[in-house]
Amino acid sequence: MNSFSQHAKPPLLEVRNLSLNFHNQKQVAVDQVSFAIKAGRTLGLVGASGAGKSSLARSIMGLTEPGTGEILFKGKNISLMDSQQLKTTRQGLQFVFQEPSASLSPRRTVEQTLLEPLKHFAIGDKDYRQQKILKTLQTVGLNQNVLQRYPHQFSSGQQQRIAIARALITNPELVIADEAVSSLDTSIQAQILQLIQNLQKQHGITFLFISHDLAVIRQIADDVAVMYRGQLLEQSPVDTFFGNPAHPYSKILLSFANYEVPSHTVGNNWSLDRGRLSTDSAHTCVFAALCPEKMPVCERLEPASHTIQNKNHPPLQQHCVKCHLYDEAKSNET
Amino acid sequence: MMGGTWQRLKTDRYGMSGLVVVIFFFIVALLVWTGMLGQGWSEVSGNSWESASVTHWFGTNLLGQDILQRTLFGTATAYEVGLTVTVCSAILGTVMGALAGWYRDSWLDEVILWLKGVLDSIPFYLFAAAVAFALQGSPAAMHLAMIITFWTTTARIIRGEVIRIKQREFIEAARAIGLPGLTTVFRHVLPNTFHILLVQSTIVFVAAINTEVILSFLGLGIQDGVSWGLMLAESSQEVLAGHFGNFIAAGTSLFILLMGFNLLADALQDALDTRRVIK
Amino acid sequence: MSKVALRVENLSVWFGKGPQRKQVVDRISFSINAGEATGLVGESGCGKTMTGMAILGLLSTTGANVRSDGIELNGKDISGLNAAQRRAFLGRDIAMIFQQPGTAFDPVFTLGQQISAVYRRHFDGNKKQVRRTMLESLESVGFNQAESITAAYPHQLSGGMRQLAMIAMATVCKPAVIIADEPTTALDGSTRALILQQLERLRHQNKTAILIISHDLSVVKQSCSDVMVMYCGRLLEKTDCESLFSHARHPYSAGLLSCIPQISPIRPPAINSIPGQVPAADKLPPGCHFAPRCARTESQCRQSVPEFDSAHQAGVACFRPL
Repeated sequence: MNSFSQHAKPPLLEVRNLSLNFHNQKQVAVDQVSFAIKAGRTLGLVGASGAGKSSLARSIMGLTEPGTGEILFKGKNISLMDSQQLKTTRQGLQFVFQEPSASLSPRRTVEQTLLEPLKHFAIGDKDYRQQKILKTLQTVGLNQNVLQRYPHQFSSGQQQRIAIARALITNPELVIADEAVSSLDTSIQAQILQLIQNLQKQHGITFLFISHDLAVIRQIADDVAVMYRGQLLEQSPVDTFFGNPAHPYSKILLSFANYEVPSHTVGNNWSLDRGRLSTDSAHTCVFAALCPEKMPVCERLEPASHTIQNKNHPPLQQHCVKCHLYDEAKSNET
Repeated sequence: MMGGTWQRLKTDRYGMSGLVVVIFFFIVALLVWTGMLGQGWSEVSGNSWESASVTHWFGTNLLGQDILQRTLFGTATAYEVGLTVTVCSAILGTVMGALAGWYRDSWLDEVILWLKGVLDSIPFYLFAAAVAFALQGSPAAMHLAMIITFWTTTARIIRGEVIRIKQREFIEAARAIGLPGLTTVFRHVLPNTFHILLVQSTIVFVAAINTEVILSFLGLGIQDGVSWGLMLAESSQEVLAGHFGNFIAAGTSLFILLMGFNLLADALQDALDTRRVIK
Repeated sequence: MSKVALRVENLSVWFGKGPQRKQVVDRISFSINAGEATGLVGESGCGKTMTGMAILGLLSTTGANVRSDGIELNGKDISGLNAAQRRAFLGRDIAMIFQQPGTAFDPVFTLGQQISAVYRRHFDGNKKQVRRTMLESLESVGFNQAESITAAYPHQLSGGMRQLAMIAMATVCKPAVIIADEPTTALDGSTRALILQQLERLRHQNKTAILIISHDLSVVKQSCSDVMVMYCGRLLEKTDCESLFSHARHPYSAGLLSCIPQISPIRPPAINSIPGQVPAADKLPPGCHFAPRCARTESQCRQSVPEFDSAHQAGVACFRPL
């Protein structure tokens, strides 16, 4: 595939300036977030708890109150669609939740759970549906004798496979996985990650994969986006993020993931930071208070999102950073 | 799931005896409805106030009617009243409670809660009298009065459950594919309330029968037939004259059946609790 | 020479009897010295949480049968004590940090009330003394504004803060032994690092012996000197951390290690996994429980149980160790 044709296709999912408040508009969940996901490139969304990753994901799915901004899926603005138009779109956009036991309806058999999306979207006839269910079960590594059983009769690994099967049954192009492996044991997590990699390679499914575990993101993502207090601070290809991240917060996240505690974070209740209020000042970088590389301008002006060019990147993989440290870099670009 | 419940129920001696009592009386009721027992409840088959004998096991009442026949028929009445009121108020209560809970804080919720408040504030027996009057003494008046007032308790409980269940992730999963609200409520939410509904229903059954007893004392009870309540009402004068047949027959039956239901209700509540470990 | 703070000998836990018997812990033995941390590693259902609760005697109301040849706390055998005797030292000499900080606290009392209640149960002191001890405890786990934390209710704190508060509550009486059950699970990287830092401080400052129960091998690697690997109630391997991570001898341990995703600047190799899944406690395979999933199984593995004397410091329960 040459770079020209890749450039011509619109991204599979594009979010522009999405903002969302909750708790009766008092707390900021998502703040002017913009990013794009190209078909076939999994985006890993990372950040501490409370950064807004889940809110962002649910907003894309229409599970929260609508925010401001645009969400374009396959080129069409879904934030403006009514429920009828949204119905056809939803087929291509599916969600996998964190707790497999909680996300499956306890009084419905596996067969009923898998049939529901097919019936709701009026996909295929009875024969097609039967075949599709069997094929999907095979893809996720389950036997057809699971069909008449109830969720509580399975282990959490199997339950998550069922949840993934439910997400796959409508042939989605994009699957949002919200901490989908975080509550699984190490060996089960490895099995599910293998399944996801298989889906990426063999079935060409694109993922928006949310996780606070950087090691998992390392295995599964092609691009990484970092969120902090509702804002997107950095977005880069995965090799860049783990090799040479640009934003100070990304560097700290990596240290923690390697069990290195940066000395300036000790004794500061560093991680015990609560969310951002909508009444907080907008004329400051969200990370300024805790940033080891803070400059005077950081507390006076919100940084813009700069694109970093790097000759090591293939031309169309973006590296964006929202930080004043890169203001000079911007002025050096033509 | 249901299998697990049965296993746990089997180990509860009191619960099982309650179940046996309930089933036994239900079989009697069935036999009465199919015409095989208790058909002579209104027939005057003996002298007034005969004492217990081989032909009349509990003797006869003031009019010479066989008390045993009347007791058997009373079993059918008890179940008829109990089942009708329980099923109808359960359906009404579940629908109202589900709508109120799902559309919580909306105008629908407010209206339903207001209606509940109003109905709960009306003194029941006054209401029953009013309904009987309005329906010109129709036999359905009693059932109607009970159904209209009993659904509120069920609705309150179901509303609470629905609000709880609404927040669980599998409901979010249904919303994520765009499933309409009402479909979600009936397909995913309500099936998870059945265990509470079952226990609540046994309690309503008991309340219905008890209420019928009191209504009978007030003359507002069963009009076309006989019930234990009516027999007890009759007996209130009779015992003063030293005739206990009615009182013993009706009182004992009532006590045993209600005791059975209560034991069953408690045992069901424990058995449906999937987290209990049996030693 | 460090003294032994906790010694457990042949601890077993099971439910039911006869053919329906579910063996959840099968003859576990180990010891931890003062000031050291040992990790008990295994996946969900392997019995590691049950082990921790059995040591504390918290299983008496659950219908579980607990048996051991001895559980010694600072030399004193606590296995045979009744509930009243147990209450005298629970919280004072040995304490547990639970898995779910959200539910371990009572929601209707403030943290100050709960933490001081633990202290007052074991020690006398006037109000000022108790308050001072409680504030010290909170400050020592890193709360800069301990005063405001004491007035807060559990739901007002984030998950990470609650976990730190739980550590404060567990250590207010300065126990000799702490059992931490999944202390960092479901917490993000920065909170995890803080929690582990706290446990390290406890070891060095108070010479506390710590048993860390976790399914996360990398957490154990960071914080423990010794490690035990558990599977279906049995200890499969017991050794020091360095040895396990450089050359694990049991195929299950090696398998678990290869499942851990790595962070690295260059593209990591494809993920490995262990085929199959953990068997249910009432359907355990005969012989070595891991045999059905092991690539190195031979007939002996299915017929007899490989054992090692787990009273020793190191060992592996395998007929064909790596």
